[in-house]
Amino acid sequence: MSAAPRKWKFSRRKLLIGLGVTGGALAVGLPLSLPFARLKIAGMLDSASAPAGTMPKDPFVWFEVTPQNRVRLYLPKAEMGQGVHTALAQIAAEELRPAWEQLEVLNASTARGFDMGTMSVGGSVVVSSLYSPLRAAGAALRLMLQEEGARQLGVASAAVTVAGGVVAVAADAAQALTFGQIVSAKQGAWVASKQEPQLREPAQFEFIGKPMPRVDFAAKITGAAPYGFDMRLPDMAYGAVARAPRIGAKLLSAAPGTARSQPGVVAVVATAEFAGVAAETRAQALAALDALQLQWSEGDVVEQADMEALVTVQPGTGTVLQSAGSVAAPLAAANTLRAEYRTPFAAHAQLEPQAALAHVRPDKVQVWCSTQSPGSLRAAVAKAVGRAAAEVEVTATYLGGSFGRKLNVDVALDAARLSAAALRPVHVSYTRAEEFQHGFFRPPTHHVLQGALDGAGRIVAMSHQQASGNVFPALVGRLLGADFGAYRGGLLRYNIPNRRVTSQPVALPVPTGFWRGLGLLANVFAVESFMDELALAAGMDALQFRLQHLPEGKLGERFKAVLLAAAERAGWGRALPAGHAHGLACSLDAGTVVAQVAEVSVQGARVQVQRFTSAVDCGVLVNPDIAAAQTEGSIMMGISSTLLEEITFSGGQAQATNFDRYPLLRLADAPLVETVFVQGDDVPHGMGEPPLGPVAAAVANAVFACTGQRLRSLPLKLA
Amino acid sequence: MQLNINGEIFEVADGDGLRPLLWVLRDELGLTGTKYGCGAGICGSCTVHLDGVAARSCQTPLAQAAQAAIRTIEGLAQVQPDGSVRLHAVQQAFTEEQVPQCSWCMSGQMMTCAAFVEQNPAASEAQLLDAMQNNYCRCGCYARIRKGVLRAAQLAAQPAGTA
Repeated sequence: MSAAPRKWKFSRRKLLIGLGVTGGALAVGLPLSLPFARLKIAGMLDSASAPAGTMPKDPFVWFEVTPQNRVRLYLPKAEMGQGVHTALAQIAAEELRPAWEQLEVLNASTARGFDMGTMSVGGSVVVSSLYSPLRAAGAALRLMLQEEGARQLGVASAAVTVAGGVVAVAADAAQALTFGQIVSAKQGAWVASKQEPQLREPAQFEFIGKPMPRVDFAAKITGAAPYGFDMRLPDMAYGAVARAPRIGAKLLSAAPGTARSQPGVVAVVATAEFAGVAAETRAQALAALDALQLQWSEGDVVEQADMEALVTVQPGTGTVLQSAGSVAAPLAAANTLRAEYRTPFAAHAQLEPQAALAHVRPDKVQVWCSTQSPGSLRAAVAKAVGRAAAEVEVTATYLGGSFGRKLNVDVALDAARLSAAALRPVHVSYTRAEEFQHGFFRPPTHHVLQGALDGAGRIVAMSHQQASGNVFPALVGRLLGADFGAYRGGLLRYNIPNRRVTSQPVALPVPTGFWRGLGLLANVFAVESFMDELALAAGMDALQFRLQHLPEGKLGERFKAVLLAAAERAGWGRALPAGHAHGLACSLDAGTVVAQVAEVSVQGARVQVQRFTSAVDCGVLVNPDIAAAQTEGSIMMGISSTLLEEITFSGGQAQATNFDRYPLLRLADAPLVETVFVQGDDVPHGMGEPPLGPVAAAVANAVFACTGQRLRSLPLKLA
Repeated sequence: MQLNINGEIFEVADGDGLRPLLWVLRDELGLTGTKYGCGAGICGSCTVHLDGVAARSCQTPLAQAAQAAIRTIEGLAQVQPDGSVRLHAVQQAFTEEQVPQCSWCMSGQMMTCAAFVEQNPAASEAQLLDAMQNNYCRCGCYARIRKGVLRAAQLAAQPAGTA
């Protein structure tokens, strides 16, 4: 579903200005949505570490300009590989006008005043939601530096230029001050300019739209970048936690047994909710778990066949999400088609497992964690160790992949509980087996598609009934009437007079939740595969058939542009080598429209995706190279899911414990990729997930074109 | 027990000689650039060099590693006499091609590539790509890994100073 950029208007009264005169930095923050907020003054900031004193409430960004002429950008959004630090730095720099080299982008901790919602990252909305506010914040800070710089240079503000981190007299460029010099020489308090900051026109853009290199690569390329799994403190112990032997099994009783006397053990926690051990080494902690005396309830003896039976569309149930005209009569007529599709449980399989370091001290609690959501984690940690949230500081480190997995990081609670008992910093990390067995999964889905054609090959009615395990907690689905995550990508965007979409939530005994794109890949797989089935029944080319059913207005124009661009670049309709075929699919997600063409070859039962062409309209491209990288990554993850990935259960456990039972796509199976960007909108839209949408359908459609086999279950398996 | 890592000698406790090199590097010596991914020798995130040959440190017992010169990602770039850092050809290439995303797997990718390029300076494109076949990247950077590896081989083939 499209997430429109937030309406947001700059007001100088919103500026949060940190006083930093003597050896301090100029620090400026801006809240996202507090129209009634009054100017707040932050305590003086120590530019090198977390600030002392009271932080202003709820800024979405902190700029610091230091006397050393560095511009630090503290972002509340975690960098998990998606390039968000670079993209946000470009947006901020556009209006602040520093030299790119003087910018430093830092992960912010909760101690910088960021609030809970502000600090969450996901849903492909980070860049689009911050685009306007971040530019306004940069412009406001630039104006302050410009006015103060002009004052120090002894000229009027209108007589200076600002570029490359330097304020210079327009008529005499030799008279110039760097941002750092201006901050150093500032006397008295900073105040916001009375002028309204003017934003640059797109034609003037210096950073936005340019392929700026990633700001996090210098540290990543040398192995120096810190991730949650890498966090270390002096005197740190390693924790290990007893995990349920079966899904749903709960601790009935827990006693330390002989765990305390095992080698290296420094603390044992054995309560009704939690049993774990901290020890001097990782191996000692894991080994000592066996010495705990634990009794578990039976739990759920989950079997695979039961899961599939549960996730099956029940006619007449489900929430109606879309309804136009009436589908009943046309779907009862002669020329109709019906098909069922399924997708399986899937794991995130991010390569850095869950990991956190916690240090519970009498005065405060510090946590470093690979998390997508440090704000909500802070509250959870406080609750776990019985402390006030204000005493807890959470710092999001770099994330070694997430894809939704690190929205829910119980590992930090494990570490905090053990640290509280050990009176030492404790690090807890999941093993790969724990990651597969004790995480949560993308839920399985079932789809019933029905369509009716008229004599001219037009769709007169189409229905999509889907059932899915929960993505959001069941409560959210009940409150909203349906689980937005589960039906994401499942609405029918085509111009069809009679349309109906229903979604049926299924509570499974297996924990399910967020996975890149949520229901996007599954729903588009079903809908766009079925579009090909209808095109075949109508005797029409898949591209022409889609063009004939485009919605009216701007959305239709945007779809048309990407469909034609992808088809043209891929050479749709031209002859391919024997055993090769093309497949086409498209989708709308997070405001971004994507069309993709897969070229696959089939040898025996082996499907190989040879080439993959995408045309993407994500509106304004903040960084075309990062957008291309996100597209490439989505394609690879999508193909991996389409051809290989499936979690199955037996005896109450996931059968995979490592990659031998859950292989991922590898280099030799990765297609050549080509991406074309089509700009059909003047604001940026999501890029982290939308290109994943059509992948499975494009591949399945190509496999059909190649073999005549219509495969309706993921992963695709040829007979 | 002594370990020769990146040209320096490190002292570690004798203890269990079968404990995996990966955890000795990360937990005992604080060299956290070498990453854990699967602990089973499948994903390649933990790849280091033993006497110049790529090895999975999660599958390498400490006692075996002690017999070899160990190189980790922290030792891939070279510190020049003037104190400046000269990136290895593969680091240079992966930066030029903007290969990584989350980068958790990239230490292993770069170490695998560096060992192969150094040992097989005349390798064909197919051989280079084949050498990278057993390193997972979940972010799906494969299209750029391909470019990065080919560019690394090119850079490595150029005489020092002309790259």
